[in-house]
Amino acid sequence: MTGNFEDPRKTFGKAVSDYALAHEDVILLSADSGKSSGFGDFMKEAPERYLEFGIMEQCVTGVASGLACSGKRPVFCAIAPFVTARNFEMFRNDVGYMGQNVKIVGRNGGITYSDLGATHHSLDDFSIIGMIPGVCVLCPQDPNEIRQAVITMMEHDGPVYMRIGNEPVENLFEEEPFVIGKGRRIAEGKDVTIISTGTLTGSVIKALPLLKEKGVSADVIGMPTICPLDEELILDSVEKTARVVTVEEHYIKGGLGTAVSDLLSERSPALVKKLGIPHDYATSGPYKEILKKYGLDEKSIADSVLNFLGIDI
Amino acid sequence: MTEKEIASLNAAATRCRLNILRMIRASGHGHVGGALSAMDMVAALYFYKLNVDPSDPAKEDRDRFVLSAGHKCLCQYAALAEKGFFEKSVLDTYGSLGSPIPGHPDMHKLPGVEANTGALGHGLAISLGMALAQKIDGKNARTYTLLGDGELAEGSNWEAAAAAAHHKVDNLTAIVDYNGLQISGPVKEVMDLTPISDHFRAFGWAVRDIDGNNMNEITDALDALPFEKGKPSCIVAHTVKAKGLSFGEGNVSYHFWNAKEDQLMQAEEELNALLEDYEKEAGS
Ligand SMILES: Cc1ncc(C[n+]2csc(CCOP(=O)(O)OP(=O)(O)O)c2C)c(N)n1
Ligand SMILES: [Mg+2]
Repeated sequence: MTGNFEDPRKTFGKAVSDYALAHEDVILLSADSGKSSGFGDFMKEAPERYLEFGIMEQCVTGVASGLACSGKRPVFCAIAPFVTARNFEMFRNDVGYMGQNVKIVGRNGGITYSDLGATHHSLDDFSIIGMIPGVCVLCPQDPNEIRQAVITMMEHDGPVYMRIGNEPVENLFEEEPFVIGKGRRIAEGKDVTIISTGTLTGSVIKALPLLKEKGVSADVIGMPTICPLDEELILDSVEKTARVVTVEEHYIKGGLGTAVSDLLSERSPALVKKLGIPHDYATSGPYKEILKKYGLDEKSIADSVLNFLGIDI
Repeated sequence: MTEKEIASLNAAATRCRLNILRMIRASGHGHVGGALSAMDMVAALYFYKLNVDPSDPAKEDRDRFVLSAGHKCLCQYAALAEKGFFEKSVLDTYGSLGSPIPGHPDMHKLPGVEANTGALGHGLAISLGMALAQKIDGKNARTYTLLGDGELAEGSNWEAAAAAAHHKVDNLTAIVDYNGLQISGPVKEVMDLTPISDHFRAFGWAVRDIDGNNMNEITDALDALPFEKGKPSCIVAHTVKAKGLSFGEGNVSYHFWNAKEDQLMQAEEELNALLEDYEKEAGS
């Protein structure tokens, strides 16, 4: 924890713009969404490679596929549900099935569009996009990871979906190269494995002292790639702990927790407690209050882990 | 175009129709109606207009053709085979397990296929992306896509129609196979989008109505592209569904045909006779 916060959209927008300015084949696509995605400067600096389409996410997804057919590297960023659910068939067929080198980024992901309500939340994106064969699903955990994930996403030859939020995010880790499909071990422990993704990893880290107070030593894994999953790291940890808690800003159904459960049920059966949003239309309100309502603040996370381990709170 | 050149294109289209029958013979069934109505235009594209090379299907400066109405794939397979993109024996695998010519086209399985279509309403946006890339790269190449008239009810087409006009993508051509029929009946009764040309015009396209089963009119239209500089072009091609199957022309029940042997034989006979006439006319 560094106490240094950044607006993830600005961090993302700058990283993409810097990369695009240095690489002529990158094209940024907007569905009335470019400025809020942090592309404001790029659209002035390289207007010929910034294409505005207005509010037509299905069309932009198809256009991205067509551009990629000719060797372009399109990046399309807009509000998460509208680049995952609204255009799902275009994502699956035109990007996934066609195997195109297209990068789609859902911003204001999870419940970060908190008070705008369930139409603007994306609590199923890991699940539905993760169902598309061949698409990598990324959810970086802090601004440094976003910067590096952008570079890796651009260099990766194939379709990628990345989710970012819009609440200020604290820098947690040193900036180092991002590897798709690799998790990071944040703390070593033996009592329980905690696996989290996205910015909730920061809350897990803050929950650790509360667990330590109760004598719990947690093996903590930060998992910025949902697909493909870092299976070896999970299996290695669970061998020690035999108990797992997953933490994500996604439905408890179909997300990281489900992927971990699927893996363990075949390879190394263990009890898995999934923390996330219940399978319902999430309520609206201030972001932090919604997190708390669903038990995703640091104190609630610690309490859930203790409960799971049968330790009095 | 001389009369001989037109006859030679008609002969090519007829050979393609015979290729379609060959695929139907292999599997016993297929989406034959819409493939046959579009066959003359697709033949004109491959044998008259498109800058594509069967020996180098991925060549950089090629024109692109996207079959948005993927269920019409028989007409594209027929033309690609006739053009030499793959061995004609592949036609006999239609309908068999793992065939490179599935019921909707798969670019990863067959050279010459540019996009994986089948879900209607995708091809125009993909083609727009391809045409934009050609423009950005300063290439003198064009992208063509073929849509069904029933397909036009998909709203995604109109997103792409607006975007193509807005971005002045005049190297993009949409051909609407206006055969007037879809699965459930006449398009006008199922979901009336007429007048089609006026709709495209209102979206900022330059439009021409033609007889889409008339090689003279087809090649004239293709030669006149873009119809207007700075605008995408739309060819509204009035056609007859199942064109070339004398017993099925204009009949909605030939959208998908479960072929009977006697019908197949009759159709082959009729088309072979027609081919002979065209070949004679073409002087070959
Ligand atoms: C999104 C989508 N919905 C439904 C279908 C099923 N379908 C296949 S062909 C067809 C009718 C198409 O009519 P039209 O566009 O007029 O083409 P034609 O049959 O005349 O070739 C339908 C509904 C589909 N392929 N894709
Ligand atoms: Mg039709």
